[in-house]
Amino acid sequence: MAKKFLSVLLMLILLIAVAGCEKDKETSGNADGSGDSKDKVTFTYFNAASPGKDGNTNETTIGKIFEDQTGVNFKTEYLVGDINTKIGTMIASGKYPDVLVPDIAIDKVLDAGAFIDLTELIEEHGPNIKKLYGPHWEQMKDKDGKINFLPFAAKQGFIKDPNITQGAFWIQRGILKEAGYPKIKTLDEYFALLEDYQKKHPEVNGASTIGFTALTYDWRFFALSNVPNHLAGYPNDGEVIVDMKTHKTDVYADNDITKRYLKELNELNSKGLFDKESFVANYDEYLAKLASGRVLGFFDYGWQVNQALDNLKAAGNDDLRYMPLPITFDGQKDQYIDPPAFINNRGIGITVSAKDPVRIIKYFDNMVKEENQKLMFWGIKDETYSVDDKGRFFQTEEQYAKTSDEDFRDKSGLNTFEYYWPMGDMLYSDGNAWVPGKQPEVAQVAYTDGDKAILEAYGVKVFSDLFADPDDRPWYPTWSAVVEQGSDAQIFGQRKTDLTKVYFPKLVLAKPGDFDKVWDEYIKEFNTLDVKALEDLMDKVVEDRIKAAAKK
Amino acid sequence: MQIGSKAAVKEVINPSVSISTKTKKSFFQRMMSQKALLAMSLPFLVWLVIFKYIPLWGWSIAFQDFKPARSLLDQEWIGLEHFKFLFSDDNFWRVLRNTIGMSTINLVLGFVTAIGLALLINEIRHIRFKKSVQTISYLPHFISWVVAASIVSYSLSLENGIVNIVLVNLGIIDEPILWLGKEKWFWVINGLTEVWKNVGWNTIIYLAAITMIDPEQYEAADIDGASRFQRIKHITLPSLQPTIIILLIMNLGYILESGFEAQYLLGNPMNLAYSENLDIYVLKYGMSMGNFSLATAAGIFKTVVSFIFLFTANHIAKRFGQPRLF
Repeated sequence: MAKKFLSVLLMLILLIAVAGCEKDKETSGNADGSGDSKDKVTFTYFNAASPGKDGNTNETTIGKIFEDQTGVNFKTEYLVGDINTKIGTMIASGKYPDVLVPDIAIDKVLDAGAFIDLTELIEEHGPNIKKLYGPHWEQMKDKDGKINFLPFAAKQGFIKDPNITQGAFWIQRGILKEAGYPKIKTLDEYFALLEDYQKKHPEVNGASTIGFTALTYDWRFFALSNVPNHLAGYPNDGEVIVDMKTHKTDVYADNDITKRYLKELNELNSKGLFDKESFVANYDEYLAKLASGRVLGFFDYGWQVNQALDNLKAAGNDDLRYMPLPITFDGQKDQYIDPPAFINNRGIGITVSAKDPVRIIKYFDNMVKEENQKLMFWGIKDETYSVDDKGRFFQTEEQYAKTSDEDFRDKSGLNTFEYYWPMGDMLYSDGNAWVPGKQPEVAQVAYTDGDKAILEAYGVKVFSDLFADPDDRPWYPTWSAVVEQGSDAQIFGQRKTDLTKVYFPKLVLAKPGDFDKVWDEYIKEFNTLDVKALEDLMDKVVEDRIKAAAKK
Repeated sequence: MQIGSKAAVKEVINPSVSISTKTKKSFFQRMMSQKALLAMSLPFLVWLVIFKYIPLWGWSIAFQDFKPARSLLDQEWIGLEHFKFLFSDDNFWRVLRNTIGMSTINLVLGFVTAIGLALLINEIRHIRFKKSVQTISYLPHFISWVVAASIVSYSLSLENGIVNIVLVNLGIIDEPILWLGKEKWFWVINGLTEVWKNVGWNTIIYLAAITMIDPEQYEAADIDGASRFQRIKHITLPSLQPTIIILLIMNLGYILESGFEAQYLLGNPMNLAYSENLDIYVLKYGMSMGNFSLATAAGIFKTVVSFIFLFTANHIAKRFGQPRLF
């Protein structure tokens, strides 16, 4: 009897499971081919680039508006766990979500042929996409001329980010205050300030002060190895410097600028100013150290230290917060701010599993209209932002607080549509910034009294005013170039990283007298690597991009 | 009497006859008589074939320029290229050295400490104390490596690390040492970490073996006036010998598995030259570059080496008349 009951139960469970699967299939795109209908339909969207809350776009205020316009809803799912495993499983099974954001695994997805060619779809159904992405059209094409995915941000014009999210030498504001807000530009001046201050204040809150620290953990090692390039007045082109005249690329890890910077750090170390734990601390320990207020200065990219900076801001002691400075070797023009670049190796694509690509492309086309983009990033007029009589967008303190609240952002869809969809960037045709974060009016609302005071002392409105405007570099950033998996260039990259990881600590921590000896050893090893593999590839990339930029 | 004796003779002969005939004709009969056992082992056999033998097919990847999601016919066969890459890479030999160095240290330290602790725990008379020592010593085994590595790196840190504080106050060192920055110390640190984490767990099997020893032997030794050390030396250790040797043979097969998490999490630029092992190398140059062929080639290399070690160890045990695996 019990047996019989069990088997019936098993059957039932199986039936339910099968029915469940069937239902899933039905909801995903009831293709009627025309794509003209506004019938309600749900597609799946998988985002491997950032963590987030799974849900439906039509459950958010903005997503609901889009559904009313197009009838399309997206069931969103975000990455949990390891990206390569997840994408690898998708590729192995051949089953993809309708729309996929593969982030760093994009090469694998392209290799597997998982994205459909969008060229015709856009020509036929995407006039607005064509308009927005038009200036970058050539750069979007793959080697075989296909457009496999839409890169995220199609830049329109240029506006500087008011705050520094990219590289800078950071210094504690208390140091600047004590020195009477000097305008410093060179590395020597910067280190001199730190040294002076540490002598006067050997302790902070009972712990010893740390003159200068560096982030070296795991793949974040570039926060140390990129610095010479910035000090020489170049933007973050990854492993190479691109000559402005000849357009030849040069791996600078063995150049004099690298030697010079490491020698400076070596001297700093011999004076006891350099944080010895720099090379053993992990990312969390590094952030904790910054947030403790013991560190006087460091180099890093704003987006990497945000968490620590926010903690310091919340703690409220303005003297312990940091100020970003555009330091160069000899005071040459800095290039810390990214040139307007079109990142063409990250994006969103429609997969071969999608049943109704036409509806999807129409949804994308609808969402890249300027009024809908404003909806995606700014939210709803008079609720999350206001417009003054000159047509400038701004936020009141109340609106700023509201749009900073995670709960509100989730409900309204400001989080869902924050990035990772087809979108523009920089400036709308009416001159407002594409995203609120880049609008100076909004940045100023977020500034504390301390921020305002230090900005006034330096006679600027926003932090990025201290930094030089970027020069025109159509090839920027070379780090976004597709390096083929397992190629000589990629193997060189890995070997170079391994070698520099072993030698940079040795160079910095060596006795000053031994520095040149260790450097010669390093160069000897470096010369055994296949530098040309990467330089040749990069030369080609730069050349191609200059050509593509000239075509538009 | 005669009849009786005949019957007795028959009885004596008969079983031997029946046995010999049974073994001759009887593969099926024996199978039938052991069908319960066979049925029980069948699932494991199936499991073994599905999960251990069929995947061996994947070794073919090592001889291709493998690209995922392509059929076998579309793959490009390139012979021994990946093996050539491995064996001509200086880094490969460096990580091989590290792997063997660290796993040898782990093996020796692991055995000595686990046996030592098992003997010590066995000598404790107070039951509660014994149980709590056992529990506490194997607790770290259940901590994830991520947490364990943080504990270790914090203990070894320059300013607040307990290791430096203790050593400085005892006057053993003059000033704090950046332990994780001393590349040559890494093998030792890794070995000690491994001991701390796994010693309690490893003792369990020895403690179990000790309980199998006949208590009468100890009583007899007691009466003969043997001291505690003599009892350990002449009764406990010899009784543990078969267990120790079998475990040793099995572990030698894992000589190229020096662990992954500990090295990955405790590794940093300063100790890279000594902390990186084969698994990390495979991750860097194989997996994360999408070069699955290279990863497979390294895997094959590992398996071959393991085989050699396992068979050699087993053979040596056999020659010396010791218990062995097969």
